[in-house]
Amino acid sequence: MNKEFSADQAVKQMLPFAKKAGVETVWDRFEKQQPQCGFGTLGICCRICWQGPCRIDPFGEGPSKGVCGADADTIVARNLIRGIAGGTAAHSDHGKHIALTLLEISEKKAEGYQIKDEAKLRSVADKLGLPQEGRDLYEVAGAVAEATLEDFFRKDESIHCSWFDKTLPKERVEKLEKLGVVPGNINGSIAEIMARTHIGTDADPVNLLLGGIKCALADYVGMALATDLSDAIFGTPTPVKTRANLGVIKEAAVNIAVHGHNPLLSELVCDLAAELNEEAIKAGAKDGINVVGVCCTGNEVMMRRGIPLATNFLSQELAVVTGALDAMVVDVQCIMPSLAAVKDCFHTELITTMPTCKISGATHVEFSTETAKESAGKIVKLAIEAYKRRNPAKVNLSDITQTAYAGFSTEAIVAALSAVDPNDPLKPLLDNIVNGNIRGVVLFAGCNNPNVVQDHAFTAIARELAAKNVLMLATGCGAGAFAKAGLMTPEATEAYAGDTLKAVLTAIGEAAGLSGPLPLILHMGSCVDNTRAVAVATALANKIGVDLDKLPVAASAPECMSEKAMAIGTWAVSLGLPTHLGVVPQILGSELVTKVLTEGVKDLTGGYFFVETEPKAAAAKLLGAIETRRAGLGI
Amino acid sequence: MSDQKENYFIYADPQKCLGCKSCELACGLVHAETDLFTAVLEGYKIRPRNRVVQAENVKVPLQCRQCEDAPCAQVCPSGAIGQRDGMVFLNRDLCIGCKSCAMVCPYGAIRVRSEAQGKGDGRIKRAKALKCDLCVEANGGIDGEACACVKACPTKAIALVDYEDLIQRSMEARAKEIAAVASGREK
Repeated sequence: MNKEFSADQAVKQMLPFAKKAGVETVWDRFEKQQPQCGFGTLGICCRICWQGPCRIDPFGEGPSKGVCGADADTIVARNLIRGIAGGTAAHSDHGKHIALTLLEISEKKAEGYQIKDEAKLRSVADKLGLPQEGRDLYEVAGAVAEATLEDFFRKDESIHCSWFDKTLPKERVEKLEKLGVVPGNINGSIAEIMARTHIGTDADPVNLLLGGIKCALADYVGMALATDLSDAIFGTPTPVKTRANLGVIKEAAVNIAVHGHNPLLSELVCDLAAELNEEAIKAGAKDGINVVGVCCTGNEVMMRRGIPLATNFLSQELAVVTGALDAMVVDVQCIMPSLAAVKDCFHTELITTMPTCKISGATHVEFSTETAKESAGKIVKLAIEAYKRRNPAKVNLSDITQTAYAGFSTEAIVAALSAVDPNDPLKPLLDNIVNGNIRGVVLFAGCNNPNVVQDHAFTAIARELAAKNVLMLATGCGAGAFAKAGLMTPEATEAYAGDTLKAVLTAIGEAAGLSGPLPLILHMGSCVDNTRAVAVATALANKIGVDLDKLPVAASAPECMSEKAMAIGTWAVSLGLPTHLGVVPQILGSELVTKVLTEGVKDLTGGYFFVETEPKAAAAKLLGAIETRRAGLGI
Repeated sequence: MSDQKENYFIYADPQKCLGCKSCELACGLVHAETDLFTAVLEGYKIRPRNRVVQAENVKVPLQCRQCEDAPCAQVCPSGAIGQRDGMVFLNRDLCIGCKSCAMVCPYGAIRVRSEAQGKGDGRIKRAKALKCDLCVEANGGIDGEACACVKACPTKAIALVDYEDLIQRSMEARAKEIAAVASGREK
């Protein structure tokens, strides 16, 4: 390998095996796509109607308008907000699935699922203002599910989504209401984007972007409800010690990777793996069944069960290349179709489970709430059968893993802080931000992207910020990057944190009985769990009586790529956060759109995007944004 | 002079060209010595030496054919254009922007424009003749694999043609066909 593709040592170790096995990886395909089309890169290719495709000449010599008359500003804005709608649809479909399952649980129709965290369910009911007196658990669950589903389908769109109003600071809700961007229901917000970007509809780039903000805020709603209802059903995560990276795939076990996003599938696979463990041992796997995670469903089961994380998005194919993965079970989102070809080189079963996500060449085991247990059992048995076909000559195990602590839900963070001050849990955090021991908070989110070296920017930025005493949270494939790099450990705190940050993390960690500091970066869950960080920020904002855009809090997505990331980034900006992108977004073809998103939007929401592809410079800019906010607060 | 090599030239297979204009962007950027993001953010006017044109249903990029008896070289009053190192070379330092070459080029492959970052001073606009230079400046010589348009083409429609190599390969291909037919008869 002449070129560095990844900062992940296990990836470097596995790529030669992939080459030897004739497996084409994401990096091979990325090379073959070079150079990528300049028009698409700039966002000035419009394929919305069949008069086109139309392209704008970014240098002014050729056409400046599409066939319909749309200029670069209109085209870029339309393309961007269609991406936001895609991301919102993906997240909220996941959330709707959870809410419908909660409804079925309340009707006692969902065998295999229970309400594992009654307290969380009741706190959600309180948050939504639902009466609980005289209602049993199932009735409360039913009411929460109905109220939540109302946020998807509400007839009167002038009424705000409940999950929006009830989870954000009042001042923020009012600010966004004045802009006319508060969603009334999720499905309507997505449909509205498709309608207003249809040929001959909305052509005003600023109006289009406001539509994008509204849809992105609907994405926030979908994510918030998905996270909290998942906690109610599967349990609210608490700190757990586990391991991460490809070395978690074991030779003497039936290895099952759960990959995708929704815990509805992965949780049941874990349950059934435990039930069928003896069968695996009987089949010759003396260590029984070893469930490992990939991508965000990996984060879900890592947070709740301490299931080890095999890898994150970009290196998903390499989990199969180990030759010891017996089944890769997938649900939705970020699943590379190439897995079907990779598994053909090995014995691995690739199992799709959702009617909306099939891959030709995979085995499809349809998964529905009613028959979840049966399907999960079938999946685990397929894995055991595959194990029997494993070819030892093709096994390329990795020996690389790192310890990782996960499970830092909002509740877990508050509980750790309560150990310091039981009467006023947020006070220790707030005091340390005010006195400058913690300069601010940065939330790392988002994907992997082969446009940059995998995991490199995440870890490089984090090391810089740690030294500058910034408290860091992470979700999604960003969290995966940190876990694999060993940065989610107390040892990383000792090694990289600045003195004051180290002292705070140590004080909290020891008070919480961890006999050492909290990890350098707190794992808050999957990408759908970014709203956990908003919950922490909202609690802080409410406590000191300011809006979110005043807090020394920023977000960073150094390797963003998916439409979900477009939606998350946009709601982060809409909620008032300075938001860093480490990959150049496909908007530069419009100077106006670029200016609005990096400057103009500040006047509307207080948040803004900035692009910086160089990690050290990105860290400096994140720190600068935090210091500006501190100055604004006079601290 | 009798064994002098014929000129190289860029040729695109119209059956493979999708009209995506990636070659135009790549050509403009390599000659502006910049990348796409910088060019857009700095507002450079990039100047491709090729142009994708469409006639009927055929789309294809056109650029200088590096002619042997090149009309542009014949009419250039300042001696800026002439044969050199396997191509028709345009010395921009000598060009006065008279457009004679552009008028006589049968391919329409020469444009007289100011360069990307060039600005006039009130008397002149710094416009010069621009044409395909086979990326010799960027690559330090003729290298077919390294030509910006060749690298940029997603369907591999564009190639640098070595005329003699081309006819050699054509002859060999026909000879193989003849051989196949002949051996079929023998059986």
